[in-house]
Amino acid sequence: MTAFLRAHPYATASLFVPTILLTLVLLVMPFASGAFMAFTDASPKAIAWSWVGFENFKYIFEDRTFWEVVRNSLFIIGLSIAISTLCGLGLALLLNENLYGTRVYRTLIFQGWIVPWIAVAVLWGWLFNFDYGVVNHLFVTLGIFERPANWLANSGLANAVVISGFVWRIIPFMMITILAALQGISTDLIEAAKIDGATYLDRLRFVVFPLIKNVIIVAALLQAVRLFQEVTLPLVVTGGGPINATTTLSLYTYKLAFQQWDFGLAGAVGVVWSATLACAAGLYTWYVARQSRGER
Amino acid sequence: MSEAARNAAQRALLYGLVLASLVVMLFPIAWMIVTSLKLPDEIFRNPPTIIPDTPTLQGYDAALNSSIATAFVNSVVIAAGATALATTAGALCAYGLSRARFRGRSAFMALLLSTLGLPIPLLMLALYLMFASLRLLDTRLCLILSHAAICLPVVVWMLMDFFDALPVEIEEAAFMDGASLYQCFWKIVVPITGPGLTAAAIFVFVTSWNEFIFGLAFTTSPSVRPLPAMISLLFLGEFQYRWGDAMAVAVVVTIPIMALFVLLQRYFVQGITAGAVKS
Repeated sequence: MTAFLRAHPYATASLFVPTILLTLVLLVMPFASGAFMAFTDASPKAIAWSWVGFENFKYIFEDRTFWEVVRNSLFIIGLSIAISTLCGLGLALLLNENLYGTRVYRTLIFQGWIVPWIAVAVLWGWLFNFDYGVVNHLFVTLGIFERPANWLANSGLANAVVISGFVWRIIPFMMITILAALQGISTDLIEAAKIDGATYLDRLRFVVFPLIKNVIIVAALLQAVRLFQEVTLPLVVTGGGPINATTTLSLYTYKLAFQQWDFGLAGAVGVVWSATLACAAGLYTWYVARQSRGER
Repeated sequence: MSEAARNAAQRALLYGLVLASLVVMLFPIAWMIVTSLKLPDEIFRNPPTIIPDTPTLQGYDAALNSSIATAFVNSVVIAAGATALATTAGALCAYGLSRARFRGRSAFMALLLSTLGLPIPLLMLALYLMFASLRLLDTRLCLILSHAAICLPVVVWMLMDFFDALPVEIEEAAFMDGASLYQCFWKIVVPITGPGLTAAAIFVFVTSWNEFIFGLAFTTSPSVRPLPAMISLLFLGEFQYRWGDAMAVAVVVTIPIMALFVLLQRYFVQGITAGAVKS
């Protein structure tokens, strides 16, 4: 195989051309150029740009809004990932049991993942509507709330609206991914543990969990990275409000760029965001490398 | 309690948990459909009705007669274009990565994967200016290109797995018979990688169908604007208090993806789990 490819280096190289071109022109260059803009006062509305050094970075680091947005993003995304991972794990364990119709239940629960984000956003606006929303009706009827809550006017409640939307949409992914991992565990192992007298919780803790731990971590990290990019729900349902309470980093950057047309500031936020992510990725790689060394 | 009774109680508890999860997970979807079938006066009734008194398709009529129909076609064109582009480019690259060994191969793979973490709003700054100078802003093409680009790394990684799993003997035999690299790829490799290509294509289509901010920022004319951007503008504008119509629109955006799921369920799930389980 490789012999043929080595004999035809140009044909082989040409396989990579479309991907390299697309990646270079549409991802790598825009990233570099956006990072460059972070040091200018670039704006599509301005005719000329000038170099401003670290002014944009200074501005955002001194800006209270920026830190608020960072805190909100970490809170909203962290909590969303934690809840959806736990629920996804619970559902996966539940639907991995020997029950009638598990396949049907899995398919039904998976449906949330199919609903496009924009539909989730519009739907969440309706479910949590102040006057006619079914959530308010339910909560008042059940006595959880005394009177209907104005979900979008209170920062804590608005956070709950966004988080519940994220969680609902991501649970199916977590469930399916963890189920796939659970099904990879050999039944012999579980049976052996049963014979040794291990209770359900023991088996979970000492047999099952160590085997699926990495899949769970990877799935959660993958979704966290994706959620950092997700703007539909906050933009459409809460508009980022009240007073920035649901403004995530991506929404903030988007608004700086395409509502205030300040590409310099947006670039600076983007650079800080990618740098943080790169550090986190580096740390994670280091951690994984250390762990696998430890196991050997 | 006897062993059997305890077992029965346990199973009852498990079924109870399943039922509760189904209710929580499916209620929003059910409520979306129910509301979309109600007349305006019933939508604003308190307490809300579970089953519409007089089911109506009025909301769908409003949804499909408005600019939503155009946006629907735009979204289909954009998603199809992005799917064709990303799947073709990604398949060629994944095949090359799977079969050829060269210096920098793993660095190239890592670089591709790392682009997934690039903040999309940051990429959009330069893309906006670039598309503006190429006069591609406010076209469907610029969205096809952007959507294809953000999906490409995942497609390459997904397909590499499928190509790695193929036996190379068939290809070697084809080369012995004098086939060229591309003949071998199109005539032999592609036909037997159907499931992998389908899973990758579904991934791109769904991502493009969901993508929101490129569509919102890069288009201004209703004639090219994709569904998510159009819906958000209608929802925040003229649809604001027309919840029945809004829910009908939400159902309409969901239907194509649900149809894909019903037809190609296996590949759908494969595409989702492939990424997480192996890496």
